[in-house]
Amino acid sequence: MNKLKQFILMLVMMFAVFLPLSNLTVKADQTDTSLEDIKKSGKLVVGLSADYPPYEFTAKVDGKTEYVGIDIEIAKKLAKDLGVKLEIKNMSFDSLLVALETNKVDAIISAMNPTPERKESVDFSDIYYSGKQYMVINKKDASKYKSLADFKGQTVGAQNGSLQYNLVKDQMPGTTVKGLSKLNNLVLALQSGKVSGIAMEEPTAKAYVANNSQLLAFDPGFSVSSDQTGSAIAFRKNSPALVAAANKTLAQIKKQNLLDIKYVPEAAKYMETTTKNNTMMSYWTYFAKGIEYTLIITVTAVFFGFILGTLLSLMRLSENKLLHSIAVCYIEFIRGTPLMVQVMFVYFGVGAVIQSLPALVAGIIATALNSAAYIAEVIRSGIESIPAGQTEAARSLGMTQKDTYRYVVIPQALKNIWPALGNEFVTLIKESSIVSIIGVGDLMYQTQLVQSATYKGVMPLFIAMVIYFIMTFSLSKLLNLFERKLNHG
Amino acid sequence: MDKMIEIKNLKKNYGKNEVLKDITETVNKGQVICVIGPSGSGKSTFLRCLNVLEKPTSGKIIFDGQDLAHISEKQLNVLREKMGMVFQGFNLFPNMSVLENIKLAPMKVKNVDEKTATERGKELLDKVGLLDKADQFPDSLSGGQKQRVAIARALAMDPEVILFDEPTSALDPEMVGEVLKVMQDLADSGMTMVVVTHEMGFAREVADEVWFMADGYVQEIGSPEEIFEHPKSARAKDFLAKVL
Repeated sequence: MNKLKQFILMLVMMFAVFLPLSNLTVKADQTDTSLEDIKKSGKLVVGLSADYPPYEFTAKVDGKTEYVGIDIEIAKKLAKDLGVKLEIKNMSFDSLLVALETNKVDAIISAMNPTPERKESVDFSDIYYSGKQYMVINKKDASKYKSLADFKGQTVGAQNGSLQYNLVKDQMPGTTVKGLSKLNNLVLALQSGKVSGIAMEEPTAKAYVANNSQLLAFDPGFSVSSDQTGSAIAFRKNSPALVAAANKTLAQIKKQNLLDIKYVPEAAKYMETTTKNNTMMSYWTYFAKGIEYTLIITVTAVFFGFILGTLLSLMRLSENKLLHSIAVCYIEFIRGTPLMVQVMFVYFGVGAVIQSLPALVAGIIATALNSAAYIAEVIRSGIESIPAGQTEAARSLGMTQKDTYRYVVIPQALKNIWPALGNEFVTLIKESSIVSIIGVGDLMYQTQLVQSATYKGVMPLFIAMVIYFIMTFSLSKLLNLFERKLNHG
Repeated sequence: MDKMIEIKNLKKNYGKNEVLKDITETVNKGQVICVIGPSGSGKSTFLRCLNVLEKPTSGKIIFDGQDLAHISEKQLNVLREKMGMVFQGFNLFPNMSVLENIKLAPMKVKNVDEKTATERGKELLDKVGLLDKADQFPDSLSGGQKQRVAIARALAMDPEVILFDEPTSALDPEMVGEVLKVMQDLADSGMTMVVVTHEMGFAREVADEVWFMADGYVQEIGSPEEIFEHPKSARAKDFLAKVL
């Protein structure tokens, strides 16, 4: 009976969270204030997935990491024409549409094809560039794969949520499609034989081949309609004013032939320079930045997680039925759902209510909320490990329940749970890598940047692994030292 | 004689299990009462009901003019200051030194300043013969020493009555004496004491009144001579025949 009540309470609480959210999204699209809004805010936030050269990728310019490529140039031009500043948000390709719909970004300029399905949920500008759909394979397989039919019985990779993914699925019967969200990882999969080919757009395919002598690209003959091949800028539904402004900019670009004479050659140049100095050492600043973010996220999350966790554990141990139930529901719910979903929910879901929520803050909040549930259970077990006699002795001396906890129970409990708490801290360093999916610049995210900048898949991963290990190992040692001190003191 | 604690129709159930069935007795000021009886007779539960570590199912515990069973948590804390308790398992705080164990409650509950609390703590440690152990931690003490510290800790709150819950049951035989000695000194100084004990020698020598408990009732009350030499009830005769 009690369990049933708790379950119902949990459902009610979930509805309480979701209902206002769904209302909000409905309200968002009524009148078209898209253009005014951007001019008022003074900046254009563009979402993209910077692993898609020559459209968008990262390069080192004067020692600093910058987003470069065709799409970046278009974004710069569009922002300039609108008279606002440009802000770029880099995230995985399949998160882009959600980000647009939840107002995280104002536009997507990420070589996105205006498919009919996508047109149902967003507005598109005119097509600004169209390339053919290519297939990238290992050079040694050149004689084996010449057309789509040759891939029968094989696995072909494509970026999740991309046009190519659907093309493989629809036009290559008998072929299994493997979707990953990052092209880098797909190339890794190709080189390690997990997939036989990768479907990608012509310019991108050519870029990869140009930078990796073991790869080969060819046109396998996908049949695509004209509205599917091209890339266009995506805006939120019902924003014709913004679409019109963008089309004006695109028309100018076309008229001056900027793409062919400026954007594409520049992008190619960046790709060459990155290829020239793509030793890992020259990217140490990426990893340093990643370590910094990972530590910031972990330390802040542990700090707030500890405070909230203590509160939750006390609520759970409380005799007050309501407080107890809330704590139980929270702990069970958080422990019963993946951190990845929680991170995305906080960023896209809660972020829909609080518009200005930066990805870093969302990442920290989600990680802290998550670790609070685990820390609460650790603390509860610590408190329960203290014999009842301790409380009885304190209470018989006239101490209040609060003072008893504060001076007698908690200090002893902390000593008992120190190893478990330390473990949680170490775990969090590793788990925090999840926040890279919403574009927080932690170590994992930086690793992916290095992968796409150097066209090397395994080496950056290996370096990231070593760094993670150094961090967790030295933290464990440090905590052991504290533990020994605690036991002596 | 002035009444210290009045117990009226005290009952305590754990679910359907009736541990205390109906107890109405009085503890007078300055009295030393030893509660004896077979295991499972409800002695410890009875004692723990007196300072409401166990909440009585029904009945009244009147102390300082107030019914402990029916007052707020806040008032209860105030009254508990005046009712010390010594446990079978000592329950010293292992994370604090001996002196800190004694100082904690006076400082946190009565807001006594550190200096006064330290002086008083040392005075009490001297009284139980453990002044040299002030800065040690409980783990390094013997059982008898721990129990003497626990008594000093209870005394630090200047209680009007001290409840002893089988204070020597967890001790090695050679350490029982030192604890009983401290308790005897305390009794001689006029402290009101309720002692649940299996030490019949102590009960006979120190108690003003012996309460014999069995089956959830106080079966018999009398002076040590009356209870030990001329027990009236069959339960008491039976019990004493086994333990004496």
